[in-house]
This record gives sequence, structure tokens and C-alpha cells, in this order.
Amino acid sequence: MTGPQPGTGLKLIVQAQAIEAALWRRWRYNQDTECRLILFDQFSGFARKVAASELRRRPSHGLERGDFEQLAFGGLLEAIDRYDPLQGPPFEAFARPRIVGAIADGAAKSSEGGSLFAYRGRIELERLQSLEATARATNDHISALSELVAMLAIGILAETAKPPSNEDDPGEKLDVYETVAWRDLQMSVLSEIQRLPAMQRQIIEQHYLQGVAFEHIARLLGISKSRVSQIHRAALTSVRERLKIGE
Amino acid sequence: MAKLCRQDQLDVLVSEIESSKSDPLPLIEARLAEFPEDGRIHFLHGSVLASAGRLIEAHDALTRAVTLAPDFPLARFQLGLFQLTSGEANEALDTWGRLDRLPDGHHLRMFVEGLRCLIRDDFRGAVQHLRNGIILNQENTPLNRDMQMLIDRCEALASDGAADHASETSLLLNRFSKRLN
Repeated sequence: MTGPQPGTGLKLIVQAQAIEAALWRRWRYNQDTECRLILFDQFSGFARKVAASELRRRPSHGLERGDFEQLAFGGLLEAIDRYDPLQGPPFEAFARPRIVGAIADGAAKSSEGGSLFAYRGRIELERLQSLEATARATNDHISALSELVAMLAIGILAETAKPPSNEDDPGEKLDVYETVAWRDLQMSVLSEIQRLPAMQRQIIEQHYLQGVAFEHIARLLGISKSRVSQIHRAALTSVRERLKIGE
Repeated sequence: MAKLCRQDQLDVLVSEIESSKSDPLPLIEARLAEFPEDGRIHFLHGSVLASAGRLIEAHDALTRAVTLAPDFPLARFQLGLFQLTSGEANEALDTWGRLDRLPDGHHLRMFVEGLRCLIRDDFRGAVQHLRNGIILNQENTPLNRDMQMLIDRCEALASDGAADHASETSLLLNRFSKRLN
């Protein structure tokens, strides 16, 4: 029998409303970007819900749920940056029209340009571009390819560790992703992600576990998209080396 | 030298706040305009703002109170408690540091020691110190109620045997899933 989890004492006294107020205070008045990240995490579920509701309500113009979510994340970031906690309504009431507006704008642009956001393809291309620099650095094409595949696999392991969302089909059958061996490997990857330096961990968690595209992560962390890509590569390289995957 | 409100004026203000059926903030703000450097009035301001749910302003007012009156123990204790409930445990520990200079049998020292135990997940120590603090505290009974509530939560935790049997795996997955909700 184990004792209460570490941090249980603190949980007895903290108040959700006070924590949220402290996060807004520290982000808004002390420019504490860590708090901005936590606020984004806290409200990303809300942004997803708005995206799901908009997807049902408006013509999709060929956009997928993932596209709507990325547009919603853009609106959420905008709302976090503009919200004044001393004025006006609670954050969700403030953010909702901005998220809906970001989705409407994005859908209209997609429709006008005749081009799809193709979220899934775009996000996979981003990952590949981020990782292929490592592969290019060597003349040994077979080991470079093996390394690239290993790092893509680590990403898939982390990504599929997400619990299924309410939107997913509840009747879906267990497949290879639910096998014990796969689960064990996922646990190892998740443990290693937890051991990464803060910036690397944040990028991997946001990208693979929250499904946030590099451009939004860049904005969230106040760094360039190419820097996010570099840190992403360094993080997956580090996880791969520690787990000796693909060696 | 800072112009401070006389104690009798302060007593009148406190009784006005207690008996006020409408918003007491204008009463306090009027006094603050007169005595902007009186930490005690900032403390009252912070307490009323916190009760009204205006937590960011309450934090500012309590911080100002402690800055202006660093040896006003109740303001220092309440600011630390406010920080702790806001999830800012390190800040709370820093704020309370100066209360260690209070005499051994002071109830605020006992409460602080109990809360330090709570931060360390030492529930037995927390209950013991908070209880001692309640016995010693004759001057601020509402504070005793708050501390008793904490004792009750600690005891409930111990008695329901809610010791977590979750495996390492589910703990780790839990941590990730929390970030997604």
C-alpha cells in the first residue's frame, strides 16, 4: 500500500479560482510565459469543444476536425494575449467569439484559395522536415533512414498515448495500439519525455499530446517556428538515444 | 514619515465594514485616499477584495500591506495563505519567513508550521500544529474556523484510506491526460 501521492497536502488547500487568477496575474502583469503556456493548456479543451461545435454547424469547405482545432488554437492564443482579467467577462465568454471568428476566417480563406489546410499532411510534413536535417548530416543513408524512422515512431508512440477524446468512436475495437507491448513502449517514451529539459518537453507535449502545430507552439513560447523545429529534433534525438530505439 | 490612521479611526472603519449591508469597498477606499501608506488599511482592502472574488486586486493590496508594514504579522500570514491557495507555495514560504521571529507560543507561528507540514505532505504534523494554533488563538476566531476546515480535510484523507493504489503506468498516463482536459 502506498501513501497519498506527493502534492496531496497542497491539493487540500489550493483553490482553482485562485490558481487561475494567479496565472492571469503572472502572465498579464509579469509576462511570465510559463503561465501563458499553462493557461493555453487549461483552455485548449474549451477551444477543441468550440471547434467541434463549429465543425457541426458550418460548411467545412473540405477542412477536417484537425484543421478546425488548429484554427481554434490560433483564436485561443489571440484571446489569451488580449484578455484583461480585471475587465469584462470570464475568460471563456471573452474567448469564444474570438475562437469562432478565427475558425470562420480560416474556413473562408481555405474556401477562397481553393486549397485545403490538410492538417494531417501538413503536420506530418513539418515533423519530417524537422527530423530530416539529422538524416542529411550523414553519408550513411541506411542508418540515416533507420534513425529517421525511429524518431517518427517515437512521435507516433507519444501521440497515440493520448486518451481517446469524446468525439472518437466509442465502438472502436482494440488494435495494435492497445497491445501490452505497445503500451509498455509508450510508457518508456512518456517517461523519457518527462525527463527532457523544460523547453524540449513543452514542445513535445504540445505537439504530440495536445496536437498543436509548430506555428502555434512558436507563438506560445515566443520563439521562431524554425527554432521549434530544431528543438523538436533535438528532443526526439535525445529520447531515441536514451531508449536506444533503432540502434 | 508616513501618515498613519489612528487606532480609534481604524476601529471605527472595521466596525463600519462589519455592519455594512452594502459594498464596504468605498469606505475603505476613502480611508486609503487619506492614508495611502497605512499597511493596515491595505490589508483590510485586500481582505474585502478577496471576499468579493477580486483576487488579482486582493493580491496587490495584501502585497502592498506587507511592503508598507513588514512587521504586521496578520497581513504577512494572510498574504502567505493567499499565495498558498493560489498554488504559489514557494512565495508563501518566503512571505512567512519573517514570522519565525514571533515568540514561540504565538498562534500564527503554529499555523505557519502546520501549513509548512501540509506542503511537505506531513499530515500528522499539520494537524498537530494547526490544533495547537487554534488553542493559542483567542484573538481571531474566524481564522480558527479556516484552520479547523484544513484539519478536517487532513483527517478525512487519513480516515478514508484513500491511499492511491494506482500503478506507475496509470499515474503517468493520468498526468498526461490531465493536460488534455
